Amino acid sequence: MSSRPTAPNRRSTKNEYIETDTGNKISRRAHIEGKQNIMLGGKSVLMAGVTLRGDLHRLQEQSEGDERSKGPVTAINIGRACIISTNCTLRPPMRIHHGTMTFYPMRMGDNIFIGHSTHVSSIHIASHVHIGANCVLGPFSVIKDNCKVLPNTVVPPHMIVPAGSVVGGRPARILGEVGDGWGQGQTGGGEEEWVEGGDLRGVVRSIKG
Amino acid sequence: MTTAFPYVRYACPCTETAAPPLLGKRSSQDVETEQDEGLTFNPHDQRANFSLYPLDQLLFCDECNHTRCPKCWTDEMIYWYCPHCQFDVPSSSVKSDGNSRPSSSSTHLRPDGGSSSNDSYILHCQYCDWSTLEIDVKFSKPSRITEQLQKAWKARYGAKEEKDEEDRKQHESPGTQHDATFANLQRFYKDQLSESGDQPNMYSNSPYSSPANLARIMNLYGGLSYNALKKTREKPQPMREAGGLPEGLVTYTEDGIPGEEEMIEKIKTLGLEGTASEEQRLTTPQNYDTRFQDELWPIATPLRVRRGKRCRTCRQFLARPEHKVGSMRYKIRLLALNYVQRLSISPLQPTAPRQNPSFQLRPETLPEVKVHPHQTQQYILTVRNPIFETVKVTLATPATTPGKVASKVTILCPSFTVGPAGDMWDEALSASTTSDGSRRAAMASLTGSSADGDRQPEAGKVWERSRNTTSVILEVVPGAVKSPPKIVPDDKQEEELTEDDDILEIPIYVRAEWEAVPHDAAGHADHKGERESREFAYWCVLGVARITQT
Ligand SMILES: [Zn+2]
Ligand SMILES: [Zn+2]
Ligand SMILES: [Zn+2]
Repeated sequence: MSSRPTAPNRRSTKNEYIETDTGNKISRRAHIEGKQNIMLGGKSVLMAGVTLRGDLHRLQEQSEGDERSKGPVTAINIGRACIISTNCTLRPPMRIHHGTMTFYPMRMGDNIFIGHSTHVSSIHIASHVHIGANCVLGPFSVIKDNCKVLPNTVVPPHMIVPAGSVVGGRPARILGEVGDGWGQGQTGGGEEEWVEGGDLRGVVRSIKG
Repeated sequence: MTTAFPYVRYACPCTETAAPPLLGKRSSQDVETEQDEGLTFNPHDQRANFSLYPLDQLLFCDECNHTRCPKCWTDEMIYWYCPHCQFDVPSSSVKSDGNSRPSSSSTHLRPDGGSSSNDSYILHCQYCDWSTLEIDVKFSKPSRITEQLQKAWKARYGAKEEKDEEDRKQHESPGTQHDATFANLQRFYKDQLSESGDQPNMYSNSPYSSPANLARIMNLYGGLSYNALKKTREKPQPMREAGGLPEGLVTYTEDGIPGEEEMIEKIKTLGLEGTASEEQRLTTPQNYDTRFQDELWPIATPLRVRRGKRCRTCRQFLARPEHKVGSMRYKIRLLALNYVQRLSISPLQPTAPRQNPSFQLRPETLPEVKVHPHQTQQYILTVRNPIFETVKVTLATPATTPGKVASKVTILCPSFTVGPAGDMWDEALSASTTSDGSRRAAMASLTGSSADGDRQPEAGKVWERSRNTTSVILEVVPGAVKSPPKIVPDDKQEEELTEDDDILEIPIYVRAEWEAVPHDAAGHADHKGERESREFAYWCVLGVARITQT
C-alpha cells in the first residue's frame, strides 16, 4: 500500500488541466457556460471550481441581418497570463434597460491574479491587478491598472478604483497607493521572485497537473 | 499582525543615526569590526517600524548612491484627477473649489434615475441601500450633484440659521445683542441703586458709607431708631436683581438650546447605534455637528493626486509619472529594486511544499511557520544581483539577535561574489526552466531524500550559484521565548514580552562592492578602460518565523 500511493493520484492530477493551443490551462473541474462567448488571451489559468457565465451575454438584435450574427458575442474576455483561482465566479454584469435584462461584456486585461472564492461582476479589470481571496467585485465596478484589492473586500457596484490604488474593506475604500515598484523586479521566473502585479507567466507555469 | 513568512525588509540608511552609511573608501575587512560602527540594527526596536520597507517601495538616487524612502524623498504633485470620471482637474480649480470634484458623486453613491417622480433624481448607495431620500434630498438633474447638494444644504441649514437670527431679533429684541443687553443691565442696576438708595440717602454725605453701620451709629447716638430706619426703608422697593430681558437678564433654560430635549428623546428611541460615529462626523465639515446617522450628509468624491518623488538631497527626480490620468507609466523611475542586492530566505529542509502566500490558489489555510527554541534550523539565504556587474558581497550579522528573545545566528559563508544580471527577462525565464533548483526541490519533495540530501552545508562554501544569484547557508538556533523557571523568583529581571517579540527576525548588514564605468566617462571612448569602485551598504531584516512558546 504505502509503496506506491502516488501512482493513481498522479494520473488524476495530470488530467486536471486541459491545455489549449495558446497555452491556457483550464481545469476539468471548472464550470464553463457559453464557451463560444468566452475569450482567453493565452497562458491564462482557470482552476477547479471556477464558474464562468459566458451564457450571460447581450442578446443579438435579430433585425440586423446575417452579417452581425455571424460571430458569437463575447461575454467574458480574459487577457494573457491571468490566474482565476479555485472557486471563483465570473458573472457579466446585468442591468434592466427599457424593461429587458441586458448583460454587458466583462473585459479583463493581462496579468491579473484573482484569489480563491472571489465573485467578480466587474465591467472592466485592467492589467497587473492583484485581487485577494473572498472578495466581491460588484456589478459594473471598474478596477484600473496596477491595483491591489485586499482579501475579503467588497467593492460596491459601479465603484471605479483608480489606477495604482490599494483598496480594502466592506464597502471598499481606497486605503493607499501601491509602491512605485509595483510588479517590478522580476529577473527570472522562480517562485521567490513572483511579485503581486508582476508578470504572472512564472506562476502560470508552476500550475501543473 | 499576521505576516506571511518569510519576509525581507530593507532599512533606508537615512534613518541610521548610530551607523552612518558606508560610502566610498572603506575596505571590506572591517566588517568584523562592525560593532565599532555603532549599534546593530534592532528590528524589535519601536523605531524600526518606521525605517523598514519592502524593497519595491524604495527608490534609489544614482547621484547620491543612496536608497530613498518616504523620509528622504519629497513629493511633488504632478496632477489632480477625479477617480470617478478619470478627468484631469486643473490645479487652479483645485485651489479655488477645494479638494473635490464639483460634478461627481460620492464614492459609491450614484445618481439613480429610477425614482418614480419625473425629473427627480436621488443619490443611491447600492452597497447599503442608503439614499438621499433618507435625508429628504432630491435632485433636479443627474449632473452637478455636488453643486445641488451644496444648495440643498444651504437651503436647509444655512437659511435656518439666518432665520433663527432674525426671529430672535424681532421678538426678543434686543436680547441677542450683547452690547444692548449689557446696556440694559447697566441701566437697570443704576436705577435700582438710585431708587433703593433714595431713603437712607439722608446720611449719604456721611463718611459711614455702609447703611448698617450708619444705622447702628445713629441708634447709639439716639437719632432715628433702628426700627424706624427699617420702616422707612421698607417703603421704597428694596434693591433687587434684574428680572428679565428688558432689564438686561438673559436666561438659558432647557429650551435655550434648541432641540436638546428632542435629541435626548431620539437617542432613547434609536439607541447608540443610531448616532453618528466620530469617523462619520469627521468626513466633512458639514457633518461635524451631526449627531444622528439619519442626518449625515453625503460627501463628494475626494480628488486623487499623482505624485512624483524627488531626492531630498540633490533634488533630482527619482520617480516621475507620465502626465496622463490612468497611466501608470513613468518618465523617470529609479527603483531600488534595480540597484540593491535582494535577499531571500527559504528553509533548507522544507517541511511543507513551499507556497508563496501572495498567490494562494486554494482555500486551504497555510500552515503557520513556526520554529522551536534550541532546535538548529538551516536556511538557504540567496542574494540576487540586479546590476550588470559582478558584485562582491559581504554579509554581517550579530551573533545573537537583538531583542528580548536572543537567537544565535551564523552565516556559514559571509563573503562571496554574485554574477551580473542579464538584460533579457525571457532569457532568464528560459534559464530558470532548465535550472535545477525547482526540479531538485520537486524531486526532494517526491522522494523525501534525493541525491542532494547527502550534501552537507560546509563553512566557507557557497551553497548554490546561478548566473546572478548566490546562495549560502544560514544557521539559526532560536532562543527561548520564556526564560526557564528560576528557583528563586526574580521579578525584576523578567522582562515582559510584548506582541511580536517572539518573531525571529535577523538583522543582516549587506555590503556590496563592484567596479563600474564612471558616470562622466560613460560616453567617452578614451575613458573606456577606466573603472571606479563603487560600494553600497545597508541593513536589512529577515523575518523568518514565529518561535513557539514551548
Ligand atoms: Zn530614507
Ligand atoms: Zn452605503
Ligand atoms: Zn540624490
